[in-house]
Amino acid sequence: MNKQLIYRFGCVALGFCLLLATSAVYHALLPPSIPEGVVEKLQFFAKHKDEFDTLFLGSSRFYYAVSPEIFDNVTRENGVPTRTFNFGVDGMNPPENFYVLEQILKTEPRNLKWVFVEVGDIETKSHANILSTQRLLYWHDWPRTVLTLRKALDPHGTTEWYKQLNRLWSARRTFVLHLSLFEKQFTNVGRAADFLPFHADIPAEKSSFLLGPNSDGYRLAGTPMSPERAENFQRKLAQEVAAARPEFIDPYADSAYRDCAAKIRRLGAAPIFVVPPGLYQSPTRFRKSPPPGPLLMFNDSREYPQLYDPKFRVDEQHLTNEGSAEFTRLLALELIRSIPRP
Amino acid sequence: MLFVEFRFFWFFLVVFCVYWSLRENRSRKLWLLVCSYIFYAAWNWKFLFLLMGSSLLDYVVGMMLARTENSRARRGWLMLSLGANLGTLAFFKYFNFFIASAATLLAWLGLPVSLHTLNIILPVGISFYTFHSMSYTIDVYRGKMRAVSNLLDVCCFIGFFPQMVAGPIVRARLFLPQLQSLRNFSNVDVRGALVLFLTGFIKKACIADALALSVDRYFTAPSSFDTVSAWIAVLFYAVQIYCDFSGYTDMAIACARLLGYELTINFRFPYFASDIAEFWTRWHISLSSWLRDYLFLSLGGARGTHLFAYRNIMITMLLGGLWHGAAWTFVIFGALHGVGLVIHHEWKRLTRKVHALRAAIWWIACPLTFYFVCVTMIFFRSGDLSRAGTTLRSFVLFGGSGLEQLGVWKLWIFFALAFLHWLNFHGTFSTWWRRGPDPVFAAAYGCAAATVLLFIPQHYTPFIYFQF
Repeated sequence: MNKQLIYRFGCVALGFCLLLATSAVYHALLPPSIPEGVVEKLQFFAKHKDEFDTLFLGSSRFYYAVSPEIFDNVTRENGVPTRTFNFGVDGMNPPENFYVLEQILKTEPRNLKWVFVEVGDIETKSHANILSTQRLLYWHDWPRTVLTLRKALDPHGTTEWYKQLNRLWSARRTFVLHLSLFEKQFTNVGRAADFLPFHADIPAEKSSFLLGPNSDGYRLAGTPMSPERAENFQRKLAQEVAAARPEFIDPYADSAYRDCAAKIRRLGAAPIFVVPPGLYQSPTRFRKSPPPGPLLMFNDSREYPQLYDPKFRVDEQHLTNEGSAEFTRLLALELIRSIPRP
Repeated sequence: MLFVEFRFFWFFLVVFCVYWSLRENRSRKLWLLVCSYIFYAAWNWKFLFLLMGSSLLDYVVGMMLARTENSRARRGWLMLSLGANLGTLAFFKYFNFFIASAATLLAWLGLPVSLHTLNIILPVGISFYTFHSMSYTIDVYRGKMRAVSNLLDVCCFIGFFPQMVAGPIVRARLFLPQLQSLRNFSNVDVRGALVLFLTGFIKKACIADALALSVDRYFTAPSSFDTVSAWIAVLFYAVQIYCDFSGYTDMAIACARLLGYELTINFRFPYFASDIAEFWTRWHISLSSWLRDYLFLSLGGARGTHLFAYRNIMITMLLGGLWHGAAWTFVIFGALHGVGLVIHHEWKRLTRKVHALRAAIWWIACPLTFYFVCVTMIFFRSGDLSRAGTTLRSFVLFGGSGLEQLGVWKLWIFFALAFLHWLNFHGTFSTWWRRGPDPVFAAAYGCAAATVLLFIPQHYTPFIYFQF
């Protein structure tokens, strides 16, 4: 290789390194860019962080199903008064929830005692029709991106990741999607919009709508499913019950939940993991023993038949207001009955 | 795949590295062709066959023109090429427009008919690559260049990815000779090309896409905004379309230059033109010169009476307007420019002997020309005549009656951009970055690129001219 070529490569490498270094500096200096739908709750929680001692973190299966008002009433009546905030967000599944949990814990709430975390596998496919690009983008820091890529490469974690490189082709779309999102996130694409006057503030009415009528993060669920859908639901439920068998969560989610539990405990709170009453009936298990925290499973229609009554359900995953009230009551009683105090 | 996407960066990096590592010109062209087709297929692979078909047809026509001396036969081959290219363009771009217009006309005449339009997808860049390929067959027919015997060269010329989808419309006689000789990397102005690419990137991603937010908001419902907002929206749109298109062209020229090829310059500070004729020598130069050479001159040009010349100007500008899109707003855009050119020529003729008068009014000519261009841009941007009329009433007659406002402070953005543009016009940014050693340039470029990324929108907006 001649000197001229080495010199040119050197210049290109220098330019590229400076691009990365400058991006890294900006990235470190800029606050995280949390999108609409999440930022309202995060801002509210940050403002009132010391008022709450119980937190629910999960998807719409928490958002429309856990009423802090009912939860606090039940715990107070049973001698364990709580003040609860529902941090459920539409479509917030792992690994997004791990990122959000980190942002919540960074606010250092002093009185947090219990953090209920919804349990689920790492999602590698994104519902682009539901989530805006910004919702997909913001949680793509390196640990979360690696988690997603490793899951895409080796879903069951059966072997070393580098032995699964032959899966690269079949997982190429997932790879390209998540890597490009990480790239955008790391290089701070469009972050100036957060500071320039072009950026519109979130209207107060939208924020209060997302926080719910009591400003506790809970929004009322919908109406019961139609008789046709109910029939279909019961048929599917019967099939799920018949096919149910204990299943381990994926190894990446397992290790991420353990990390979460450690972080929650460092703050002096206790993590509690919850499987909401969805259609899927297989009992969930953590891979390693002991589990990262108590695991409450409500996806058992034989143990909780009231939660699977079609008149209590909006659809296969969500409960009506009455269903939510019952689910919240059961959660509160579980806390009182079996959860060790921090 | 857009030039402002990350994936284009990786794509181009591979193209660049492999291209310069190949020794033979043939291998390089083959590599370029494969990459160009991949680039096009990334949008829609099915229309790749259309591009290939167009290239093959024009190659065959070129060869037949070279072999035939008979003028009738030569004319026939040319007609075949023009018919196929224009027919394809007419079908994909204008079929629904003509059907809908015919139905409206018949209904107006009291003969309502039910004519069905087709669900046609417009192949990206079709207006550009058909003009590329037509320039080849017309030049061969006119004897301005020799037919190329190598199919690879013709395919490379028509499909060359930097200029394939939105120009500049490169002439065959300028580009094909470049393809026929081996490019030498030591002749490439890498620093110039990189700066040009970053400039284009800033124009498109930081300026055009940012202004688009206000422009889109206004043009969605112009009747709900006041007069000041109409001014802001129209001025912003003038900046947006310039930055969008010239930004794309800058990036296209820079990419081609990094591969050792020179493309035609397409913009030379058009908003500093002092009359509408000068404007068209500065705006979308490759299209205006194409229309001049292949349409205006074919119609007879400026020979004969003034009326004959003005007729040719009007036909050229009307078709030029229609080239931009299948809508009456584009036809009006072309017609207004045609009328502007006719008035300008007539004014020039009448004041030929009064140089002092022309010199005295020069200082208002530039803003007046810009204002006229802005008025025509209203038709270019408005989706329909009703919205164009509303905007026109606000912009020209100050008759905006809506309550919504875009914010007067945004006018400062316009003035700041205009000042920067003026500085650039006077060469403020033209050379200083050439000073200093390469490592310093590379380091500064990396820092600048990281900073620019902060200012681009998170959602990629397609180039405006992609729809043409």
